[in-house]
Amino acid sequence: MGGFYWIASYPKSGNTWMRLLLASLIDGGAPLDFSRPVGFAPSAASPSDMDLFLDVESSELTPVEQTELRHDLALAVAAATAEPQYRKVHDRWGHSPSGRPLFPPAATLGSIYLVRDPRDVAVSWAHHSGTTLDEAIDFLGRPGAVVAAAGKWRDQFEQRVDSWSAHVASWLAAEPVPLVVAYEALSADPLRVLAQVAIHCGLSASADTLAGAVEATRFARLQQQERIDGFELGQKAGRRFFRRGIAGGWRDTLSHAQANRIVRDHGAMMERLAYDTGV
Amino acid sequence: MQHEDLAICGLRVRSDLALPELLPWTADARGVDLVIELGDVPDRVSGAAETHPLIQVSADGTCRFAMPEVAAFLVSPDGRAVTVAPSPGATEADIRVFLLGTVFAIVCQRRGLLTLHACCVRAGSKAVAFAGDSGVGKSTLAARLRARGHALLTDDVTVVDMEAPGGPLVLPTFPRLKLWRDALESLGHTVDGAGAIRPGLDKYQLPLDDGFCNTPLPLAALVRLDGNRKAPEGLRLLDAVQGLGELGKVLYRPRLMLRLGTQARQMAQFLRLLSFVGGLRTLRRPETMAGWSEVEALLPVLAD
Repeated sequence: MGGFYWIASYPKSGNTWMRLLLASLIDGGAPLDFSRPVGFAPSAASPSDMDLFLDVESSELTPVEQTELRHDLALAVAAATAEPQYRKVHDRWGHSPSGRPLFPPAATLGSIYLVRDPRDVAVSWAHHSGTTLDEAIDFLGRPGAVVAAAGKWRDQFEQRVDSWSAHVASWLAAEPVPLVVAYEALSADPLRVLAQVAIHCGLSASADTLAGAVEATRFARLQQQERIDGFELGQKAGRRFFRRGIAGGWRDTLSHAQANRIVRDHGAMMERLAYDTGV
Repeated sequence: MQHEDLAICGLRVRSDLALPELLPWTADARGVDLVIELGDVPDRVSGAAETHPLIQVSADGTCRFAMPEVAAFLVSPDGRAVTVAPSPGATEADIRVFLLGTVFAIVCQRRGLLTLHACCVRAGSKAVAFAGDSGVGKSTLAARLRARGHALLTDDVTVVDMEAPGGPLVLPTFPRLKLWRDALESLGHTVDGAGAIRPGLDKYQLPLDDGFCNTPLPLAALVRLDGNRKAPEGLRLLDAVQGLGELGKVLYRPRLMLRLGTQARQMAQFLRLLSFVGGLRTLRRPETMAGWSEVEALLPVLAD
């Protein structure tokens, strides 16, 4: 009996960075190879797992059936595998239509929850999805928001992210409690944060391995590798995936009114996470 | 309710459920091979060995598959009878998706047939199969080849008779292609003329009409479509070990054999199939006119 480590976040909050760090860490701190798809920690909303482990054609299921069966899928995969399974998650923590947990505690070995200042998330989401900043701010504030809306992408089920505040609240109350990693802390001291993550995931790693993984995922290096080999992960066609990778970049991008709107929408949760809500 | 007998993969089918996808049975007057009846299906089959959310297999090999709110199905150990218990509110289209998918794969495995996750196109007097995961572009490729005048034997599932005297024989399924709206429209069809495979789903059935090859043909080649855009160009032959490693991407519902206990036979059949067709080949999935033309040009080579 194996189980899952869920690498969870609202979109554009450092999820891919964390997965690349772990991919390198598990590979002994080796450099990453973008000339082939990064296979580590595929999406928990990928149809291929469901096709394989539940013996159905998941693309012919309704969105409700897909969501419902994700609970069963997690248990079935955990029962059928011995090694820990890592999956990327953008869903909010929650339940299937019939009330069963989407990420069953019984199949969960641990969770990493990445969180980022919503003002930076909004800027990054606008770039990634090809919307205006105001549309991105609307999206962050929208209750019940989904990504990969039914039938939009063939390689992912619809995922309910909810509003940014509700997403964070759901994962802070998840069972078992996740290790919360702030993008800003990861950015400031990746070595220290990665060491914590490794311990949470039961991975033993030498100082050299940790340093190698941090080196392999320096932002300038990821940007350079993207320029050479490309990196497609759902961003609008023709856009870079690794855009800027800094904390606080919103200050030179958002207007006062836009920043204020995000604080108005999400101030309570921002303060709970100790983000400075001043502009 | 008595419908005329139908044909799928060379089997004579008598069904309580209407199966408009299937052609009528027109061959010899032999007995019925597969009976599909409406009836009660127990919630549990006795002595089910494995815990699976949708599938139970009893000690005698009876297999129960159920999709909540659609139907429960019971397949006899010899694969000659299927009992269907529809859920209240389920449409016949909903039920057929699972009956002609997972349930028919169970029937085939019980009857000793090999099921590949592949579409299959006629190339001269032989068949060439293109395999791969869902979404890799099998049906789109099939539709493109059909539009260029190549007849199809199967769309998503290719059933192979490994006991045929001349080697692996592809058994035609039924004259329909399943396509997403964008693929259908890019081929110049509209969704108005095609029925959605299930109410509310954006996937449609395209009738093949005279583009269907209803004659079993020997399998000449097996090509796995690789969805990785960074894969090398051109057709590549995998060695035997690599070929075996692709088992899960080439067999239809590859873990079903573990539930049914048929893995020894299925694995042996797959190895024999690879040997007959000269190994597994891979090809980066074609996505452009040039790509489809390349595949078309390869057909005579692959069938040779």
